[in-house]
Amino acid sequence: MESIILFGTLTVLMLIGTPIAFCLGVAALMTVLYMGLPPLVIFQRLNSGMSVFTLLAIPFFIYAGDLMVRGGIAQRIVSFAGSMIGHLRGGLGQVNIAASTLFGGISGSAVAEAAAVGGLMIPQMKDRGYGADYAVNVTSMAALIALLLPPSHNMIIYSIAGGGRISIADLFTAGIIPGLMFAGALMITAYFVARKRGYPVDAFPGFRQVLHLGAVAIPGLLLIAIIFGGVRSGVFTATESSCIAVLYAILVTVTVYRSMGWRQFVDATLGAVRTTAMVLLIIGTAAGFSWLMAYLRIPAQLVDWLQSVSDNPIVILLLLNLILLLLGTFMDMGPMIIITTPIFLPVALAYGIDPVHFGVIMILNLGIGLNTPPVGAVQFVACAVGKISVWQAMRSIWPFYFAGLAVLGLVTYVPAFSLWLPALFRGG
Amino acid sequence: MIETEPGPGRPRLAKAGKVLSAMSTAALWLAGAGLVLMTIIVGWQVFTRYVLNWSNAWTEPAALLLMSWFIFLGAAVGIRENYHLGFDVLLYVVPRKAKLVLRAISDVVVVGFAIGMIVYGMELTVLGWNARMPSIGIPDGVKYLPLVGGGVLIVLFSVERFVLRLAGVSVDKGIDLEEIPSEDAVREA
Repeated sequence: MESIILFGTLTVLMLIGTPIAFCLGVAALMTVLYMGLPPLVIFQRLNSGMSVFTLLAIPFFIYAGDLMVRGGIAQRIVSFAGSMIGHLRGGLGQVNIAASTLFGGISGSAVAEAAAVGGLMIPQMKDRGYGADYAVNVTSMAALIALLLPPSHNMIIYSIAGGGRISIADLFTAGIIPGLMFAGALMITAYFVARKRGYPVDAFPGFRQVLHLGAVAIPGLLLIAIIFGGVRSGVFTATESSCIAVLYAILVTVTVYRSMGWRQFVDATLGAVRTTAMVLLIIGTAAGFSWLMAYLRIPAQLVDWLQSVSDNPIVILLLLNLILLLLGTFMDMGPMIIITTPIFLPVALAYGIDPVHFGVIMILNLGIGLNTPPVGAVQFVACAVGKISVWQAMRSIWPFYFAGLAVLGLVTYVPAFSLWLPALFRGG
Repeated sequence: MIETEPGPGRPRLAKAGKVLSAMSTAALWLAGAGLVLMTIIVGWQVFTRYVLNWSNAWTEPAALLLMSWFIFLGAAVGIRENYHLGFDVLLYVVPRKAKLVLRAISDVVVVGFAIGMIVYGMELTVLGWNARMPSIGIPDGVKYLPLVGGGVLIVLFSVERFVLRLAGVSVDKGIDLEEIPSEDAVREA
């Protein structure tokens, strides 16, 4: 009965469009009232769920991404990528993907990336005769690379939702190979679609130009080394390196690029407030919700039930992937990770799946969901930038979905793609 | 950035709207200042720990306290500017009248939770008042005050939306208009 109230309230409130943070909070509150527990406990959990030092990394990484977009770091990375591979078939599409990969290494937010790279690339692509749908689909899919490459704040959310014991350094490292595989799969798809549609080929601008633009982009790209090196070596915590990323982004955009004025600074700061306050409030109310789930032994019951269905991890992984894909089309990534991790992670663990591996699967899977209607934040942004409707984009997105799902399959069933690199770093 | 012009016939609503608008802007800027201050504090922690080689016990609790304020202020502004993440699928398909009713119910639910934040936030503040935070020496109950402050703002902003909607003002943009929530989606990014 308690579970019915908990999930029933959640479902009904979500259906009527109540903000997710409040759906979670009120569902937990109703259940506590029904059970006769003091409601105080929910608000105490809300506060303690938010007062976690690691959580600070989330506003900092998002803030750093906003500063980089508005301070001109993103533009320079796009120009650099353009000089390197703009001469390939479907050139600007490839540039888009390469720029997303580089930028993903410093931002970690798919929505910020779709807005930043898309804002620069989509108008250019349309001018050069690429179809708007192609430009939008390449942008929105490439933006997902940011989710897998460090510093992905979604991996921090996963680590916290998983009880805070999963190493963020390992998660960051584990995403690298799947992220590059995803980029590669998209590049191949973009190539074939471009060839079929007869998109133009540009001349190579010459090594001199590549070196020049590379040198200009280096101060921005150095952030990759700072963030990843800092967290991986264990010198800095994730929170500390995220804070360094913010300070460094301010330093570079103000003193080196001189493109950060007061207006841009205020926009970036208030933008980061809007985005992160929402996500962090959800994390807070979800803390009360997951505490209740654990109290009611819901994850444990699910494990028992699934074990009676199948004892085969391959089947279970397929099942979990399908559920996540389905739920992911309806819900945003942050809340999905927060709600489903406490339920599905025990299942994965019971079947001997490594929590780091499962995190990579979950993030790639839910990432694809960011690019599907009815709720697809990344797709909405890309469509808005490209000025086409979601349905226009959907008509030709299928090859890209196929590429994404193929990588998801590989990442799911070949754990080494995720686990080999972290093991290598730990060993060495 | 919601439509807060209830029309010439409703001067009192318009006046309240102006006051609330100023409060919302103030809350947003305070939250922004909090984010900057958090950056400075954690930056100071990194600097003292790695460069000067001494550690501060106060930086972590201070940054966490700021983060609580930052979250609740930002979340309250989110109610007024309508940028909270929600599951809006059903709202696209039901008729306009039903949509308004569902939105109104949502607002009531949010107000209910916010009242809980105020009541239990105060209770937790009082309960924790005599304990001290270990490293910064201020009462432990202080950390529940953002819950109360955020709760008050959320109640005010939700009631405003409720009243404006009753008055026939469109406060649910993005759902009434079109499929692509273009401006605010890009702004969030």
